[in-house]
Amino acid sequence: MIKVFKSKRFYHYIKDVSAVTGSLILIIMLIGAIFAPIIAPQNPYDMEGLYLEDSLKPPIWMEGGEAPFILGTDDQGRDILSTILYGCRTSFTVGFSVIIIAGIIGVTVGLLAGFYRGLLEAVTMRLADAIFSFSTTLIAMLFLGISKNHGIGTIILAIIITDWVRYARTMRGSVLSVKEEDYISAARAIGANDLRIMFKHILSNAIPPILVVAAVDFGAAVMLEATLSFLGVGVPINKPSLGMMISIGKNYIYAGKWWLVVFPGAALVLIVFGINLLADWLREEINPKIMKGKVGE
Amino acid sequence: MYKCIVRRLIQGVIVLLVVSFVCFAIFQFFGDPVLTLAGRYATQAQQEEVRSKMGLDKPFYIQYFVFLKNALHGDFGLSYVAQTPVLGLILERLPASIELAISAMVIALTLGIGLGVLVSLNPRKFVNRIIMAGSLLGISLPTFLIGILLIMIFSVKLGFLPTFGRGEVIKIAGNWRTGFFTIGGLRHLILPAFTLGLYQLAVLLRLTRGGMLEVLREDYIRTAWAKGLTVKMVIFKHALRNALIPVITMAGLQFGELIAFSIVTESIFQWPGAGNLLLTAVYETDHPVIVAYVMITSILILFVNLVVDILYAYINPKIRYE
Amino acid sequence: MRKTTLMIVTMFLVLGLIMTTLISGIAADKDSINVAVGSPPQTMNPHGSDSDANLGVMANIFEGLLYRDVEGKLIPGLATSWERLDELTWRLTLRQGVKFHNGNDFTWEDVQYTFNRLKEPYPVSEFLAFGGVIDSVEIVNGDPWTIDVKTKTSVPYFADNLHQVFIMDKESTESRSTGEIGQNPIGTGPYKFVEWIKGSYLKLTANENYWGGAPSIKNAEITPITEPSTRLAAISTGQVDILQDVPVELYETAASNTNIELTTIPARRAIYLGLGNEPGFPTSDIRVRKAIYLAINEDEIIEKVMFGHAFPAAQIPDPPTVGYDASLKHPAYDPERAKLLLAEAGYPDGFKITLTGPNDRYVRDAQICEAVAKQLSKVGIEVELDTKPKAIFFPEVDEHILDFYLIGWFDGTYDFGRSFTKLVHSVDVDKGYGGLNGANYSDATLDALLEESEVIVDPEVRADKLRLLNRIAMEEKIAVIPLHYQEDSYAVYKGRGIEFTPRADTWILFREISLKK
Repeated sequence: MIKVFKSKRFYHYIKDVSAVTGSLILIIMLIGAIFAPIIAPQNPYDMEGLYLEDSLKPPIWMEGGEAPFILGTDDQGRDILSTILYGCRTSFTVGFSVIIIAGIIGVTVGLLAGFYRGLLEAVTMRLADAIFSFSTTLIAMLFLGISKNHGIGTIILAIIITDWVRYARTMRGSVLSVKEEDYISAARAIGANDLRIMFKHILSNAIPPILVVAAVDFGAAVMLEATLSFLGVGVPINKPSLGMMISIGKNYIYAGKWWLVVFPGAALVLIVFGINLLADWLREEINPKIMKGKVGE
Repeated sequence: MYKCIVRRLIQGVIVLLVVSFVCFAIFQFFGDPVLTLAGRYATQAQQEEVRSKMGLDKPFYIQYFVFLKNALHGDFGLSYVAQTPVLGLILERLPASIELAISAMVIALTLGIGLGVLVSLNPRKFVNRIIMAGSLLGISLPTFLIGILLIMIFSVKLGFLPTFGRGEVIKIAGNWRTGFFTIGGLRHLILPAFTLGLYQLAVLLRLTRGGMLEVLREDYIRTAWAKGLTVKMVIFKHALRNALIPVITMAGLQFGELIAFSIVTESIFQWPGAGNLLLTAVYETDHPVIVAYVMITSILILFVNLVVDILYAYINPKIRYE
Repeated sequence: MRKTTLMIVTMFLVLGLIMTTLISGIAADKDSINVAVGSPPQTMNPHGSDSDANLGVMANIFEGLLYRDVEGKLIPGLATSWERLDELTWRLTLRQGVKFHNGNDFTWEDVQYTFNRLKEPYPVSEFLAFGGVIDSVEIVNGDPWTIDVKTKTSVPYFADNLHQVFIMDKESTESRSTGEIGQNPIGTGPYKFVEWIKGSYLKLTANENYWGGAPSIKNAEITPITEPSTRLAAISTGQVDILQDVPVELYETAASNTNIELTTIPARRAIYLGLGNEPGFPTSDIRVRKAIYLAINEDEIIEKVMFGHAFPAAQIPDPPTVGYDASLKHPAYDPERAKLLLAEAGYPDGFKITLTGPNDRYVRDAQICEAVAKQLSKVGIEVELDTKPKAIFFPEVDEHILDFYLIGWFDGTYDFGRSFTKLVHSVDVDKGYGGLNGANYSDATLDALLEESEVIVDPEVRADKLRLLNRIAMEEKIAVIPLHYQEDSYAVYKGRGIEFTPRADTWILFREISLKK
C-alpha cells in the first residue's frame, strides 16, 4: 500500500493540480451521495415527509426562503439540496454500474476477439461497428420508450446495450498491439498455455487504455441518464435524478424560479467535470508522446 | 479502392437488414398495435377484423418479408396515429434536421479546429489553459442544459434571439425547405446549432490540440523548423495534415451522436426536424415511424461513415491499400 | 498563426453581424392569424381522433350536421333543423347549396356515407361507438333534403353529438387511399387545408365559397408548441397572435407582461380519480372510499399545483350539462376523520395502492398525482406512483386493469348520461358500456338508474333521473372522487386589433375571430 503512495505515478498525480481537483470534487460528491440519508435534511423520495405548502420556496438567502430548505424547494415541496444528494446517488449508481458491467462484457469480448482473431473477431467487431454507428442515446431512448417499466435497472441495461462496444474495440486494439511484444513470444516459447498468456500478460498490459475509456465513459453514462430522464424516459417523476430535476425545473425559469435548474445543473456538471479532469490526467499519464512545452523547444 | 467500397456497401446492407429485423422483432413482442389502430371503442370482433385487414395476424416472418418488400418500393406504411405515409412524414422533416446538423458541424469544425491549433502552439500560456478548461466544461455540460441556459440568457433575459422554431423557410430544389437563405431562418438557427455543436466543438478542440502537440514533436517537424520554414508553412503544410487524421475520423464517428443529440436539441427548441418526430413517435408508440426513422438514420450514418473512410484513405496514404 | 486568427475573427464577426442585424418586428401580414396551442393535432382524418385538440382544429375544415355556438348551444350546421320523431328516429333537414372544397355538392349521400364509415374500426377508430348505434340513413318521401336517421337503441343525446361528427365527401373519400385522405382533407368548412407538418404547423386558407359567407381572416395557422416556456415566449414576443393554454406555472409571469392580454374562463373539463371496487380490495369498502375523499386536500392542490387556476368539483358534469346537480358540495379536507374511517374499515395502518396517471394530457396531471400521493401518505395509505404518456395510459384504461387512476372528462354532448355510460357503468363490451371505466368499477343500482334514463324521451324527466343518478353516485357510492374543473386560459397579443372570444369547448374557430383594422 505504501508502495503505491511512494510510486512515481502517485507523484505525478499529486503534482497535477487538475487531477487532484477532479478527484476532490468527485470524492466530495461521492461522500454526499453515499451519506445522503444522514446528511440530507429531508428524504425527497418519501411522500410522507413532503408538504405541498413548502413548494417553490427560494434559497435561504433570498426573500421568502426558510430553513431547512437551504437551496429552496421544487414544485412538490422537495428540498433542492436533499434531492441533489439523492440524485447524485442515482448518477453514481448508474455511472459505476455501467462502467463495471459494460467494461467486463466489453473487455472479455475484446480480449477474445483480439487473441483468437479469425471468425470470432470478424463477427464481434462487425456487430460492434453496427451497434456503434447508432449512438447510445438513440438506442437507449428506443429501449426505454418501448419497455414499460422504468427503474434504474432498466436505464442501466439500456445504456449497457451499446456501451460495451467502446471497451471491446479499445481492448481489441490494445490486445493486438500487445500481442506483438517480445515478452509474449517468450512466454509462448517456454510453453505457457493460452489462458495463462491471456490473463497474466496480455490483460495486465492492455488494461491502461481501458482505464481511460472507463473514466470518460463514467461521465458519459451520467450525462446519458440525465438526458434520458430529461426526455421523460428515465427515472420516475417522483424519485427524480439530477436530469429529471432539470426537466421539472425548466418550466419555471421564465417565472424567475431559477434555483430549480441551476443547482442540479451545477451538481451534474461538477460530477462530469470532475471525472473528465481525472480522465485527462490518466490519458496523459498513459501516453508518453504528448509534449508539454512550447513549440520550437 | 472500389473493391473496398463495394465491400462496405454490402456490409451496410447487412447492417440495415439486421437493424430493421431487430426493430421489427421488438415491436412484435412489445405492445399490440391493434389496440392503437382500432381505437378504444372497438369490440373484440372488430379488433380481429382490423388485425386481419392489416395483415397483423400473419406469422412474424411473413410480416417482416412484406415490410421489406414494401420498403424497397419506398413504402414504409402509414403512421398509426397520423395515418399518412411514414416516409413522407420523415422526409418532410429531414431537411430541418440536416440543416441543423450541418450548421452545428460547421461551428464545431471551424471553432474547434481553429482554437485547437491556436492552443497547441502555446500550451502553457494562461489564456490557452483557460480555453482548455473551458473545453473540459464543454464536454461536461449536457446538451439539454446548454439549450435551456442559452434560451434563458439570449431569449428571455436579453431578448434578441427567437426562442423556437425555424423561422421563415424557402423552398428550393423541389421540396427542400431551407432556412439558410433568410435572415429570420438564420437567426432561428443560431441557438440550436450552437447548442448541438458545443459538445463536438469541445471534443474537436481537445483532439486537435492533442494531435498537434504530438505531431509538432515529430522529427520531420523539427526538420522543417531547421530548414527555416515559416510558422504558417510548418503548421498548415505539414503538421495539420497529419494531426487532422484522428480529428476527421472522430468527426465522422460523432455524426451518429449528432443525430441522437439533435433529438434533445429539437425537443427544446421545438425544431421541426426528424428527431422531434421520433420523440413523439416513441411517446405515441407509433411503430412504423420508429422503424422507418431508425432505418433512414442508419442509411445516413453508414453513408457518412463511408465518406469519412474514403477521405481518411485519401489523407493518409499508409492505409490506402488495406 | 495570423491566418487562423483571421479565420476565427471573421467567424465571430459574421456571427455578430447576423445577431445584430435583426431586431424582430414580425411584419405580420395582417390578414392572417397564428394561434399557438399546447397539443398538436395528431391526424387530419376527421374521425381518427375525438380529442378536443384535434376536433377543435378540424372544425375549421369540416362541419357536422349541427354546430355549437360560442356558449355551447346547439345550432344548425349542415342541417337546418332537427327533431326526434320517436325513440329510435331522428329527422333532419339538410342545407342546400353547400359545396365541398373540391367543388362537389353536399348531398344526403355524403351523410349516409359518413355514418357508414363510422362503423369501420380502421381508419376511423374513435367514433366507432357512435357509428355502432346508427342503424340506417334514408331520405323521406323522396325528398333528398330530408333524412331520417334510425338508431339501433334509444340514444337520447344523438343530436347533441352531431357537432363532433364531421361530414366527409363520399366521392373523394372513396376514391382515395387512407394516406391521401390524411394528407389532404376535404370538407365543407370555412377554411381549406393548405399544409400540415405534424407537430410543426397547420396552414389553412379561407374558403371563399363558404355557405356562411367568406371568412374575414384569409390565412390561418395553428402552431403547436408543447414546451410551456416556449409557448409563453412565443406570445410574449408576438411571434404568434393568440395563445391557447397559458401554462399555469407561468401565469404570473404572463400577467405581468404588458404586451399580452389574458382571458380565462372556467373549463368544462373535470379532473377526477377513478377507483375500483372489486371485492377483496380495500376500495370496495365505502368507508375507505370516503376516507380517501377526505384525505385529499383539494384546496391545497388548487393553490399549489394549479396555482389557483382551477375550481373545486363535486361531480363530473359541469353546470351546463344535463344531470348537473348544483347542490353537491366537495367535502372539506379532514385527514383525522379519514384515519378514523380507515381504522373502522379495518385498515388502521393504511394499505398500499398504485395510482396511475398520464403525464402529458391534462394540465399538471402528473403533478396532481404526486400531490394526491403525498396527501394520502399522511393518513397511512402508501401510494405507488405510475405516470406515463397518454399513448400508454389510455390503452390501460381501455383494458380496465387499473386500481386507482387520474383522468379528465368533458362531454361534448353536454349529457351526463353519456358520460356515465362511458366512465362509470359496469363494463359490458358488447353493449358499449364502461369503455373508459379504467378500474372496472361496478354498481348495480347505478347501472339500473342509467339504463332507466336511456329510454325516457321527455328531456325534463330524463334530466331529473340523471340528477338523481349523479347525486347517488357522488354522495352515497362515491363512484369516483372528483377533484376540480380546469381553467381555460388564453393570451392575445395586444395592438393587432384581434377580437377573440374563447369558446367553452376550447375549439379554435377562425371564423369567429375578427381583426379590427
